[in-house]
Amino acid sequence: MNQPAITVANERRELTSFWAGDQEYCVDIMSVREIRGWSAATPLPQSPSYMRGVINLRGAVLPIMDLAERLDLPPTEPSERSVIIVVQVGERLVGLLVDAVSDILSINPEQIQPTPDVGCDQAKAFVRGLITIDDRMVSEIAVERLLPELEGLAA
Amino acid sequence: MDELEEIKVTFFQECDELLGDLESGLLSIDAGDTEPELVNAIFRAVHSVKGGAGAFGLEALVRFAHVFETLLDNVRSGKTPLESDLVKVLLRAADVLADHVAAAKLGGEGDAAATTAMVEELEAWTSGGPGLAPPALQADVQPNEDGIVFKPVTLTLPEFEDAPKEQVWIITFQPMDALYARANEAGLLIREIERLGKVEVELLDDALPVFDNLEPETAYFAWKVRLKADVTEEKIREVFEFVEDHCSTTIVRETSPTALAETGPGPDIAAILAAAQAAYPEASPPLTPPRIETVAAEPDLPAEPATSAVAVAQPTSLRASPAPPAEKANQATIRVDPERIDKLIDLVGELVINQAMLAQRVAGHGFAASSDVGRGLDELEQLTRDIQDSVMAIRAQPVKSVFQRMPRLVREIAGLTGKQVRLVTDGENTEVDKTVIERISEPITHMLRNAIDHGLETAEDRAAAGKPSEGTVRLAALHRGGRIVIEVGDDGRGINRPRVRQIAIDRGLIAADAQLTDEEVDNLIFLPGFSTASQVSDISGRGVGMDVVRKSVQGLGGRISISSRPGLGSNFTLSLPLTLAVLDGMVIDVAGQTLVVPLTAIVESLRPAASEVKKLGVQGGVLAVRDAYVPLVDIGRVLGFQSAEINPAEGVVLLVDSEVGGRAALVADSIHGQRQVVIKSLESNYQQVPGIAAATILGDGRVALILDVDALVAMSKREPLRMHEPSIQAAE
Repeated sequence: MNQPAITVANERRELTSFWAGDQEYCVDIMSVREIRGWSAATPLPQSPSYMRGVINLRGAVLPIMDLAERLDLPPTEPSERSVIIVVQVGERLVGLLVDAVSDILSINPEQIQPTPDVGCDQAKAFVRGLITIDDRMVSEIAVERLLPELEGLAA
Repeated sequence: MDELEEIKVTFFQECDELLGDLESGLLSIDAGDTEPELVNAIFRAVHSVKGGAGAFGLEALVRFAHVFETLLDNVRSGKTPLESDLVKVLLRAADVLADHVAAAKLGGEGDAAATTAMVEELEAWTSGGPGLAPPALQADVQPNEDGIVFKPVTLTLPEFEDAPKEQVWIITFQPMDALYARANEAGLLIREIERLGKVEVELLDDALPVFDNLEPETAYFAWKVRLKADVTEEKIREVFEFVEDHCSTTIVRETSPTALAETGPGPDIAAILAAAQAAYPEASPPLTPPRIETVAAEPDLPAEPATSAVAVAQPTSLRASPAPPAEKANQATIRVDPERIDKLIDLVGELVINQAMLAQRVAGHGFAASSDVGRGLDELEQLTRDIQDSVMAIRAQPVKSVFQRMPRLVREIAGLTGKQVRLVTDGENTEVDKTVIERISEPITHMLRNAIDHGLETAEDRAAAGKPSEGTVRLAALHRGGRIVIEVGDDGRGINRPRVRQIAIDRGLIAADAQLTDEEVDNLIFLPGFSTASQVSDISGRGVGMDVVRKSVQGLGGRISISSRPGLGSNFTLSLPLTLAVLDGMVIDVAGQTLVVPLTAIVESLRPAASEVKKLGVQGGVLAVRDAYVPLVDIGRVLGFQSAEINPAEGVVLLVDSEVGGRAALVADSIHGQRQVVIKSLESNYQQVPGIAAATILGDGRVALILDVDALVAMSKREPLRMHEPSIQAAE
């Protein structure tokens, strides 16, 4: 059933991969706006703990999310080598705090496998698919699902 | 979007402005303003709508506007006296015109039945006037492209003998740039004249500059057409009907078929043009040619007095008046893509932050404030502030554009409910960011409907209650606490609390034995599914009223509250953020975090003595301030930054006024001082955060959060309430 759709979408995709909590993840390179070093964030009150706060991105207020903690992994200890990947989600920008950027992957869409049914809800919710490169497994993050539900703003 | 569509969009934007002018003009007249320019202004508004509509072939709109315009023209010339009954009719006609425009915008036509009825009414007034004057004989006053209004240049011509059957008309036609810009073609127009009879065309190229000075998109040429035909002036004018705003034409009849204007007794066109152009030496002549209208064969029409500013070439036969002084020209506006302004605002915000960072670094290098560098920085700061203020002012708009639409709404609802209503507006010039303007119209509309439909009594009930039969609805805007506050009040019956309570119980919204304060009862009307109208009316009462208002207000980061006094009326208060603006704030430290408190909310700051702090209950506390006890609000705890309480006696206390809970004392660790900050939205990339109004960027480049004082005080009240409520209920 899915076969035709896959063969039609035969263009190569480029993905930026990075490390978060000892696992390798990636996002579509087209959604990455920039990659920058870690700088201390201003915490937001009454927010989920994976929201590390906000930083100044050239005049805009950028929320920073600890990707590892969002995926229910141990929280990231930000260091000088930590990296913020600024990704665009719809009209919004969000900064993902990760350990390090590792690679740019160029793949065929067929290389992406659907996420198998694993026990971890977070992994199921946020991982769009799995990619195997040599002996590495890289999970593609569905960035649009990362931000908490916007309550009270739906109108 | 193709070009025609773009022009159409502009046309509808202009229409909205024109309709606004029309309505406000009529309302001023209704209020007793007798300034004659007002009538001219409303005439122009209708005329311009008609002109534009004609260009787009919006026939229904043109037809209605024409009838409307004809009546206004009679009013303008004094042929139909402007009685107050007539003003009411004109106001309703303006509503119908607005409907037509709105319908045309969606590609349809206005309500035919309403139009026919209104047309009949207008025509009755037109013919009911003391005399009928074909509009074409009236001198027109038209704003040109720059918005400068030229009064008619009236030419007193020698009287004519009975005109011969075959007349000779001299038509001078000078297109403006806009004529070509709107894809009209001078050649086609001249060809159109040619169809009327025999023509001789002469090109007037006097205005053509030397090649170096030639602007490729400027219209330099004019034409003089000598038309020999058995036609009326009106017929000729029709040729120019759709371009009349974008060219200047003169049409005069040659007295002797053989004599040319230069030598004959008729007016010297070139001299008239030269004279008129002499009045505007600064403007490039082809850009702003004055519109010259001739009034033929009506010598008894009073001529405008000549002024010395115009070099009058033929003093005996030509009198001209120049454009009115520059005040009108100042009202000219430019249209700018809002994105450009947003970009500019962002850049200026960056500039402010950069300037602050620079100042911090310079201070860090040990330069004294009195040094050259220090003084230079001071000037830079001043300049930066000025630029910032100016830039912010560009995007801020007075709420007038929204308020202007309300009189019509009130008239309609008053008509539907049969109540007598007077709308009083206040604070129309309160400025608020454009993004807010666009979204406050809907909640205001709902609140006004509610006030008239539910709040006000019928005239009989009012009389019985000893009130004037006409109810008053008040709509006001003001700035308070760094927010814009919109108030909608009425002097009606107030909220019927027992009834509201009963309805809430009937609908299962509250428990039958719930203990509620008056304020809590009033706020029940905001619950979804609550509607007090026993009959469902067209206006409100569909049970979607106030909860929808509250939702949309909350969506804007705003709040709505109500206060009501039985028999005296209700007052809705809408408080909205100024989304993007500069804010004067107090920078404070709380639990290691830097926060900004809007200065407008702060009454005073003080360091309380330990003896002034009193414990109240388990966690609460109050501060004795000059014989009054003010609840203490620990900012760090309410926001969840820390669990331990600051001892107010060791910290700093900010006394604030909040809308919800009156005065409160915010406890902080320390105060850094006051400064102006640029408000940055948290919502643009994230979402609303409770207790936080927005964010800003400090001199060191870090983000600081701006407190929402009202929400913070409300949050501090809610916390203990939730904990205590069950025990109180259990005790009862």
